[in-house]
Amino acid sequence: MRVVVAEDVMLTREGIVRLLRDADVEVVAQADDGEQLLRQVRLARPDAAIVDIRMPPTHTDEGLIAAQRIRSEHPNVGVLVLSQYIEPSYALRLLEEHPEGVGYLLKERLFDVAVLIDALQRVVEGETVVDPTIVARLVGRRRREDPLAALTGREHEVLALVAEGLSNKAIAGRLFITERTVEAHSKQIFLKLGLHADPGSHRRVLAVLAFLRQF
Amino acid sequence: MEAAIPASWPHRTRPALCLLTVAYGVVALLVVAATRAPQNLGPSSYAGTSRAAYAADLVAGLSLLAAAAVALLDPAGKRLGVLAFAAGVVWFAPDWEGWPGGPAPIRSLGAAAVPLLAAPFVLLVADRPRVRRFGLLGVAVLVAVAFARLLVRDPLLDPYCWRDCLSRTFVVHSDFALARGLDRMWELTTIALAIAVGAGVARRLRRALAPTVVPAGLALAAAAAYAGELLHRPQENPLADTFTDLFYARSSAATALAAGVVLAIVRMRRQRVAVSRLADDLGEAPEPGRLGETLASTFGDPTLEVAYWLPRAGHYVDSEGVPIEPPAAGNARAVTPIVRGGNPVAAVIHNASLLGDPFERELGPAVRLAVDNERLQAEVRSQLEALRSSRLRITTRGDSERRRLESDLHDGAQQRLLALSFDLRLARAGAAADGNEQLVAELDAAVEEAQTALEELRELAHGIYPAVLTEAGLAAALATLADEAPVAVELSVPAERFDGPIEAALYVAARDGIDDAARRRASWVTVVLAGRIRLTIEDNGAPRPSPLVHVADRIGALGGNTTFGSTTLQAEVPCG
Repeated sequence: MRVVVAEDVMLTREGIVRLLRDADVEVVAQADDGEQLLRQVRLARPDAAIVDIRMPPTHTDEGLIAAQRIRSEHPNVGVLVLSQYIEPSYALRLLEEHPEGVGYLLKERLFDVAVLIDALQRVVEGETVVDPTIVARLVGRRRREDPLAALTGREHEVLALVAEGLSNKAIAGRLFITERTVEAHSKQIFLKLGLHADPGSHRRVLAVLAFLRQF
Repeated sequence: MEAAIPASWPHRTRPALCLLTVAYGVVALLVVAATRAPQNLGPSSYAGTSRAAYAADLVAGLSLLAAAAVALLDPAGKRLGVLAFAAGVVWFAPDWEGWPGGPAPIRSLGAAAVPLLAAPFVLLVADRPRVRRFGLLGVAVLVAVAFARLLVRDPLLDPYCWRDCLSRTFVVHSDFALARGLDRMWELTTIALAIAVGAGVARRLRRALAPTVVPAGLALAAAAAYAGELLHRPQENPLADTFTDLFYARSSAATALAAGVVLAIVRMRRQRVAVSRLADDLGEAPEPGRLGETLASTFGDPTLEVAYWLPRAGHYVDSEGVPIEPPAAGNARAVTPIVRGGNPVAAVIHNASLLGDPFERELGPAVRLAVDNERLQAEVRSQLEALRSSRLRITTRGDSERRRLESDLHDGAQQRLLALSFDLRLARAGAAADGNEQLVAELDAAVEEAQTALEELRELAHGIYPAVLTEAGLAAALATLADEAPVAVELSVPAERFDGPIEAALYVAARDGIDDAARRRASWVTVVLAGRIRLTIEDNGAPRPSPLVHVADRIGALGGNTTFGSTTLQAEVPCG
């Protein structure tokens, strides 16, 4: 896998690069701001880009903007945004325009190389990745009249994994059940919550996240 | 002349002057009638030339005297009254001179006073200091010429005499050439005065003028034209067309002036009534902040403004307490200071000519008190405004400090912790390769510590300042707040952006409101942002023991207000 890394703090960037190289991921280029990242992506044609959400010049949402530009200009380059914020609104913003091939991970996932590599692989394959911590926050949010109360325990688990962007196959693997059972569960969940998105599409992640955010 | 008028009149002076005016009018009427008697030598006055001239002569002189009486009866009409009286007296001077069979001293005095007619007109027109100085000088010249003429002009030697060629009561040295020279002098002086003073009037013609200034200017112009004609043709012929026309012009202007004087007096009286009514109004229902408008409508000057003097701040403010430029006169604007108890309290900026009479004198104690009250209110408003902007500066400064701190934590401490964790991981890989189980376990624990530290740091940074508030706005920040809240939070907040300080204050209000609800064991909180801009927070917890001072402070710093119910909180801020 060929990857471009964009991160303005050199210490962190070198750490990420070392981590990836140790895991046999080829880092083809490095960038320290959004403009440079886009240039490198154009030149190196990587499989994926790892992008820090805060980059010069304003250190606010440059990473999100760069991610969206990569997704629209280079549809076969996956983008993984690394963020220090547990902010569902950023994740939603990332997913809204291009719900496929993008991921929003908290920076501390860098501690677990396996998770990072898995996320990279998923965005390269066109899937969606949403950090489990964010999903857990949204699912666990207190609600005055909780629509999630209608779900069974297993449906709860499936809902969280759907929100994290996992495919039915991956969910089945995670929960040791068959893919068919996962499909049945997700249909049931969408029915109970009144969600209209196709439970089989990539759009379902966004639908579930928006629902969790709203209710 | 004006300076000679005493500032305060003895009580009996005004009626006495009035009586004198009336008496003079009656006698003048008889004298003018006498000049109408048929004469062998031709007319001895303009009144004697025709019925129309007779009427014009009387109407002009008597109306000037009547106007003088009206003005003298008004407590503020002293200057106008005296000048109109002088004009009326001098107007009839040629008739005294031409009085057939009249006493010689009176006829001589009448002849001497003829050059003085322009003097009262000049003083009526010259109402500005520089012009007035010049006018007074000219008038002094005219008086001196008249006096000298009385001593040297012997009508017996004057080939041009036509009103009276006999009376020479006061002549001490008859000198024909000198008398002619003096005649030229008063004619030239009159013309010079008309040009110098009249130019000032012409320049101000477009603006609203006191009703006396324009007719006085016209009368002066007519007097100058008459003087010019005399220069040109020393032998005055009342039957010649030019002289007759000039006579009608002079009498019309004098009549108009009389009307102007009466009009000015009536206007002043109406103004006084309005002021006294204003004083009543102010005594009954003082309307805070509206004094300027009330004065403007009372004096019929929509451009009238009141500037309040703040002695401690050392500058003027408007009624809202906003500092303004010190008021300056000019461009038809006059500034009247209002003094109370010897201290200046305000300045009224008004149309210079609309309030012809001293404006300040018209203001009674009630108005002064109202002005002073208004000034105090303006002062309080000004201090409030200063306080409010200071509060806003303090909170805005605090917020930006917090943002900087948050950003520093992310860019500094957090990145270092991340770097440290990479090193730990590397060391762990080395230890694992060496098969050092104990070191691997220790490094695992260290990595976990680093991870916990990182999480805590993130929470800390978010608590110091939620970056999402600046980057994505209030709705997003409140949604995150709801995610983390220990109670169920229902949000109804539009995804609209507001000014930074407003978003920050509303965020603080919502955050503290939710925390407070949680402390009071509420199970749910609703946060609704509606209208422009009202945040309502309601919960089902126990009654609130005391209002949230910090929220009230933050909202108050924006000039907004906060109302607390037992389980509700409403914060309203003015739109940025």
